[in-house]
Amino acid sequence: MITTHDLGKTYGDRTVVANLDLRVPEGCVYGFLGPNGSGKTTTMKMLLSLVRPTTGEIRIMGRPMERSTRRELLGHIGALIETPPSYEHLTGRENMRLVKRLLDLDEGRTTRAVRTVRLQDHLDKRVRDYSLGMRQRLGIAMALAREPRLLILDEPTNGLDPAGIEEIRRLLAQLAGDGTTVMVSSHLLGEIDRTATVLGILGEGRMLFQGTRDQLLARSTPDVLIDTPEPERATALTARWSAYRDGPAVRLPGLDRTGTARVVAHLVHERVDVHGVRRDAQSLEDVFMDLTGGRGL
Amino acid sequence: MGSVRAEFLKLRRSMSWVVVVLLPLTAVVAGAVNTVVAGEPLEDHWHTLWLRAVVFYGLFPLVLGVAVLASLVWRVEHRGGNWNALMGRQVSSLHVVVGKTAVLAALAAAMQAVLVVGIVVVGKLVFALPGTLPPEYFLVSAVIVLACLPVAAFQSGLSMLMRSFAAPIAVALLASAAGMLLWMTRIEALALLLPHGLVGRATQMGTGMLADSGTVTAGAVTSVVVIALGLTAVVTLGTAAVLDRRDIR
Repeated sequence: MITTHDLGKTYGDRTVVANLDLRVPEGCVYGFLGPNGSGKTTTMKMLLSLVRPTTGEIRIMGRPMERSTRRELLGHIGALIETPPSYEHLTGRENMRLVKRLLDLDEGRTTRAVRTVRLQDHLDKRVRDYSLGMRQRLGIAMALAREPRLLILDEPTNGLDPAGIEEIRRLLAQLAGDGTTVMVSSHLLGEIDRTATVLGILGEGRMLFQGTRDQLLARSTPDVLIDTPEPERATALTARWSAYRDGPAVRLPGLDRTGTARVVAHLVHERVDVHGVRRDAQSLEDVFMDLTGGRGL
Repeated sequence: MGSVRAEFLKLRRSMSWVVVVLLPLTAVVAGAVNTVVAGEPLEDHWHTLWLRAVVFYGLFPLVLGVAVLASLVWRVEHRGGNWNALMGRQVSSLHVVVGKTAVLAALAAAMQAVLVVGIVVVGKLVFALPGTLPPEYFLVSAVIVLACLPVAAFQSGLSMLMRSFAAPIAVALLASAAGMLLWMTRIEALALLLPHGLVGRATQMGTGMLADSGTVTAGAVTSVVVIALGLTAVVTLGTAAVLDRRDIR
């Protein structure tokens, strides 16, 4: 659905995005992750041709996305970038009518979009009286009204309470189930890792990882934990493997299978009792922290 | 034109209507008060009342009013994610720009209607003038509305490019002053080509003030209308081209 090659954006001396090769398969929920300021929004703006790339090219639905072609392609794309769009002095219904008039849509489409985000009971309120969650939902309804093949959502869960986040998750899964390709960004892995089928992780404008959840987990080696009645002595004996005390256990980061065998052999040779050796359970969050150098998620 | 219809929907509960009603009424009231306080009778009846209400209004307040309206109609786009949404749809830049200019033209027409109604009411109720406003002033009113188009297009472009509400209005004030100076120094060709000066010419029509002969001639009407339409087309196309090349940061 989306491919980019060597995509980059520079403002003066500041590189915001560099050498980005995005691959967003059709029909997936693509979780676009990265700490704040990592270039996610700029990338999404380039995908919509709101911002012109400094380098590289973008293809959407097999066609180049440029200023000359954008209007035609945008007819198949719904988007919510940065803060939700809306005219605060108008009601929700009037905002939807505005989209209907602008895009020459029939009433059925806007009604379906509003029902999808479950906003039908709040349409006669002015948007200035909406909660942030309701504004986000209205913004998504406005993006959905054209029944797009591709939906690009920039941090749609920002500022939402847990119930609101769960609702967005359900919505994304439902849209993907209906055949819409969804690209959704977040700086919080927990918000989208269960919904996304493909993940792209951005750090300082560069792609750190792109692939499935399982591929991401496989990228990182979990710490080895050694249970011993003499953790103090065991830690001192394995200092050259960067061991440190972790409660009653000894923790050894970045150790492969051979390294683990060597450490155990060394401890046994030094007559330290080893009661257990195991790999720590690792969350996606830990992997992300590894990839981004501890910034975010 | 969906974009034009959408723009009209945005006018609901807008502050624009306050400007549309209050500004021309203030001009009419100022003209009437001036007449009463100075004790100068309306020697030429409707003609004198029109002259006292409209000529100054055309030199400054009308242009400033259009500038305020332009800032108001663009202000909503500078809020939240509206720019991203506006440019992230398949609606062309030209349609976006034309939609805004069309709304401003409608508001300018509404202002002129309020001005005319105000003059008629004051003429009848305050000064008990005989008959009603001569038909030539309805023609002049139509010319004034058309002359507002290039100002609307120009101010719309400025308000599109500037997030500031006041900066485009300050530009309008300076351009109005420039237009007035050009009329006073009789550099008419340049005054006609400056959108803000063109409005001044339209409001002088039939009054005998500054560059006007005192009668509404076909030549004067035609030149103002042709220049107005030409300038509007140039400014609108130019603004759309700028918008099309612009990044939304």
